[in-house]
Amino acid sequence: MIKLQNIKKIYGERTVLNIDGLSFTKGETVAIVGPNGSGKSTLLKIIAGVIKSDEGTVETNSRMYYLPQQNIPFRKSVRKNILISMENADDKEIRCNEILAELGLANLADKNAKGLSGGECQRLALGRVLINEGDFLVLDEPSSAADIEGTEMIENAIRKYKDKTGCGVIMTTHSPVQALKLAERVIMLCDGKIVEDGRPEELLINPKTQWGKKFISKWKL
Amino acid sequence: MLMSMDKELLQIIGVTLRMSFFSTLISCLLGMPLGVLLGKSSFKGKGTIIKLTGTFMGLPPVVAGLIVYMLFSKNGILGSLDILFTVEVMVIAQCMLIVPVVINLTHSITSVNSACLIETAKGLNFSKGKTAILMLTENKTALFSVVLSAFGRSIAEVGAVSLVGGNIQWKTRVMTTAIMLETNKGNFSFALALGIILLLISFTVNIIASFAVKEDKQ
Ligand SMILES: Nc1ncnc2c1ncn2[C@@H]1O[C@H](COP(=O)(O)OP(=O)(O)OP(=O)(O)O)[C@@H](O)[C@H]1O
Ligand SMILES: [Mg+2]
Repeated sequence: MIKLQNIKKIYGERTVLNIDGLSFTKGETVAIVGPNGSGKSTLLKIIAGVIKSDEGTVETNSRMYYLPQQNIPFRKSVRKNILISMENADDKEIRCNEILAELGLANLADKNAKGLSGGECQRLALGRVLINEGDFLVLDEPSSAADIEGTEMIENAIRKYKDKTGCGVIMTTHSPVQALKLAERVIMLCDGKIVEDGRPEELLINPKTQWGKKFISKWKL
Repeated sequence: MLMSMDKELLQIIGVTLRMSFFSTLISCLLGMPLGVLLGKSSFKGKGTIIKLTGTFMGLPPVVAGLIVYMLFSKNGILGSLDILFTVEVMVIAQCMLIVPVVINLTHSITSVNSACLIETAKGLNFSKGKTAILMLTENKTALFSVVLSAFGRSIAEVGAVSLVGGNIQWKTRVMTTAIMLETNKGNFSFALALGIILLLISFTVNIIASFAVKEDKQ
């Protein structure tokens, strides 16, 4: 369970995030959508505790793993990137090989991660997160750099992880298809405020607000 | 001519290397964690500290030497330690010169990608120590050149070490102070030869360092 109350984040003069109340329960997958600069990443960072809000509280006792929007490979082999991210386990090597295979990185395992392509790098960054067990995954545009195949691998890996652990997933995406495919709940952000919060089928077809209608009209589903 | 003096010469090279090694080691052990910390955290007065380290990078060596001299001379606060005119006090004076350089360079290197790296590390629930180590290893190549700069400043420095070391034969004479002495005596060719040896030492250290970095690139 994660509970946000009266959250405000201010940069300079601008309030980039302003949320009265929002909560997430373990086991649900939530997609956060909204245009560039609407505050999605800021919201995820506050949820994950990477930055602090200027006002309000985040209540949680859940263990979270967070994937930043901008992922950086560690200056090590692909395999070591995974291994260093993994917490205490006896079957480290086996699990590492599993996740590498799942994300299509097996044949790159001994390559230096600095030499990976953008899409490969993104899969590796997700692998570093998925190698651990948490109550929540907080993922900022996990497949933004991936091609069709890569996107499929990433979506499958997230789904499989969720089925295995029963965790909650909070993710941002610019893809309505992805939101429909993975999420049971979609939250729309506009200028740092929540404008829609509901089931994807309803929300993506029949939004309640003007703003929601305008936003989805640009989506060619 | 170099051959005829080889026993004393070797001793001078030995003192030079010992002094430079410890100055570099201690400066890096002190300066690098501080530099990383500065890059990692944000607090009031951080900008001032960075500007101060920048200012101290331009501290004239003789001034550093003078301060250390006053501290450790008979009537100084630390005079009772009785270590003036020893290699130890030369190392202390050099650290005063080199620590700000190390802090400043380490900070500017690690602060480039530190925000991103820290976010990633926090997202993976890394401990503070693990994050700090990651920041050091991620910037290994650049930090190696900080070590080399520190070593370079240390081995080439003359003002501070001649003040606090006293250029004592068989004890605190190093390459640079020997060059000064020989130049003053008019032994230009010998002084020049010493200078060439100094450069050769630096060159060797750089080659060893570049191998150390390359090995890790795989
Ligand atoms: N560190 C910062 N300093 C100043 N402004 C910031 C900072 N971080 C974010 N902002 C501002 O806050 C707003 C929200 O940024 P955020 O990254 O949350 O957007 P986003 O919804 O994730 O956008 P995108 O779809 O492009 O990823 C933006 O207008 C951005 O300029
Ligand atoms: Mg974003």
